[in-house]
Amino acid sequence: MFKKVLIANRGEIAVRVIRTLREMEIGSVAVYSQADHSSLHVRLADEAVCIGPAMARESYLSIPSVIAAAKITGADAIHPGYGFLAENAEFSAACRDNGITFIGPSPKSIEQLGHKAEARKMAAKAGIPVTPGTKDCVHKDAAEHAAKVGYPIMIKAAAGGGGKGIRIVREAGQLKNEMNIAQSESKAAFGNGDVYFEKYIELPRHIEVQFARDVHGNTIAFPERDCSIQRRHQKLVEESPSPAVNKALREKLEDAAVKLAEAANYVGVGTVEFLLDQQGNFYFMEVNTRLQVEHPVTECITGFDLVREQLLAAAGEKLSYTGGHTVSYRGHSIEHRVNAEDFTRNFAPSAGRIEDWLVPGGPGVRVDTHVYAGYNLPIYYDSMLAKLIVWAPTREMAVARSRRALQDFQVKGVHTTIDAHKLIVENEEFRAGRTDTGFMERLLAPAVPAAAK
Amino acid sequence: MDVKILTKLTKWMETTDLEEITWKNGKDKISLKFNNNPVHNSVISSALEPVLSPSIGIFRFARPGKTNHLKEGASVKKGQELGIVEVGKEFKSVTAPTDGLLKIISIEDSKPVEYGQPMFFVEPK
Repeated sequence: MFKKVLIANRGEIAVRVIRTLREMEIGSVAVYSQADHSSLHVRLADEAVCIGPAMARESYLSIPSVIAAAKITGADAIHPGYGFLAENAEFSAACRDNGITFIGPSPKSIEQLGHKAEARKMAAKAGIPVTPGTKDCVHKDAAEHAAKVGYPIMIKAAAGGGGKGIRIVREAGQLKNEMNIAQSESKAAFGNGDVYFEKYIELPRHIEVQFARDVHGNTIAFPERDCSIQRRHQKLVEESPSPAVNKALREKLEDAAVKLAEAANYVGVGTVEFLLDQQGNFYFMEVNTRLQVEHPVTECITGFDLVREQLLAAAGEKLSYTGGHTVSYRGHSIEHRVNAEDFTRNFAPSAGRIEDWLVPGGPGVRVDTHVYAGYNLPIYYDSMLAKLIVWAPTREMAVARSRRALQDFQVKGVHTTIDAHKLIVENEEFRAGRTDTGFMERLLAPAVPAAAK
Repeated sequence: MDVKILTKLTKWMETTDLEEITWKNGKDKISLKFNNNPVHNSVISSALEPVLSPSIGIFRFARPGKTNHLKEGASVKKGQELGIVEVGKEFKSVTAPTDGLLKIISIEDSKPVEYGQPMFFVEPK
């Protein structure tokens, strides 16, 4: 096992990693930007080094600076957290070239699975359902191709991104017209009018499966997480298990994750994301080759420490469980992301000094945070203040626990999303477990003034 | 006690994560301590100009194969290279911010430095 690990990150995830390192009696090195000198990870780590100015590009994203910090402090491994350099193949390679272990998958795995089209090909080859669509661009016989994919379909720009050039077609009669619009939009935006078709999945759930694999070939898939409650693709609430997944579906999802991890010869922890339609069909979406923000809900229902599993895998040891591809779980866990945002003003970011900070506790409550009373929130980074995670024997009890914990959570000095979470837990659809990616839009529709849209 | 040195030190401290420092120079001794969340709005100008490390890395007084004999009290010219910080394969130049006298050298050759670490103090002419 490693002697000393440098955490190339900040915020709650740096604090989270330091905690596991301390339990495993491994030394910890925090790196920080000038704007973060009073952040909690700096105070908790055994050592801390300033690696650059506030701008992440010159500090947390600077590969030479992070590597220099590891060499100066004598760290033998680097944990990248999530975001920043966590899915950067160049960084993973730089660690390897400097004789430092990157706590994450190989540069090859990051490249293969991080590239959406490559990952999709690999998933299809491993027998995992991918969203039906045309493999190549559609030039003629559009009606035949569309019928084959099956309505509703999405027309997507081949050179696309950022939602531009996407048209949704619900029936054959609209196809010709929408095709013309999509092609001209795509040509205007990307200088290329090529389009392809993909099945449009109406109000899907976002389901993901955490997996872990070691160099000895042991692979574990954990029970699924449901991350359907999102706002503009930003997850707000995650839970595990999903209220929409039964035992048979869970087995299929876990099997898909194991197959993909094995096909990629993956070492470390990762997550496969799927879309689940209203009929219970699931489709591969993408792979995240890192620890995820919402990993604690999996930890709460399974008792695993996923950072520990990452360290074991990276050190070439065996995972802590080698008795099969699946693990048992107990109860239900929900995570609420508490961000410094004013949800009544279209989630505008809020900054300032945290005057008052009282976090909930008691049975089944966990708060992962880097914030404390008196902390000055820097404006340079993401707005997450804390993750409130609850566990209870049933979903109903977990929702009640969330409601209680959210009431206990007292923050003064900045706006937070706590009130948005209170609205969510009081909502009938949520309480019944009937959520999908359109949930937040429906919940906030009356609250958002027309001008804000 | 030179109030200019005091204000300069205070200003410099704001750019670091230090909470407390003691600085001795001959008979002079300055101790400074910050409260946890200082709010400083004052604009301060003063005598000693700190030269901060432009990067994390290894400090060297001279580039490979070169020598550079710097002594406290020596005259320096604005832009004059006082040393380099080696980070990966790159050398980041450390230069005098102004014409003046090199009053303090607070770094040794081949030692690791953090970003923003003071390495020299120059008294402008």
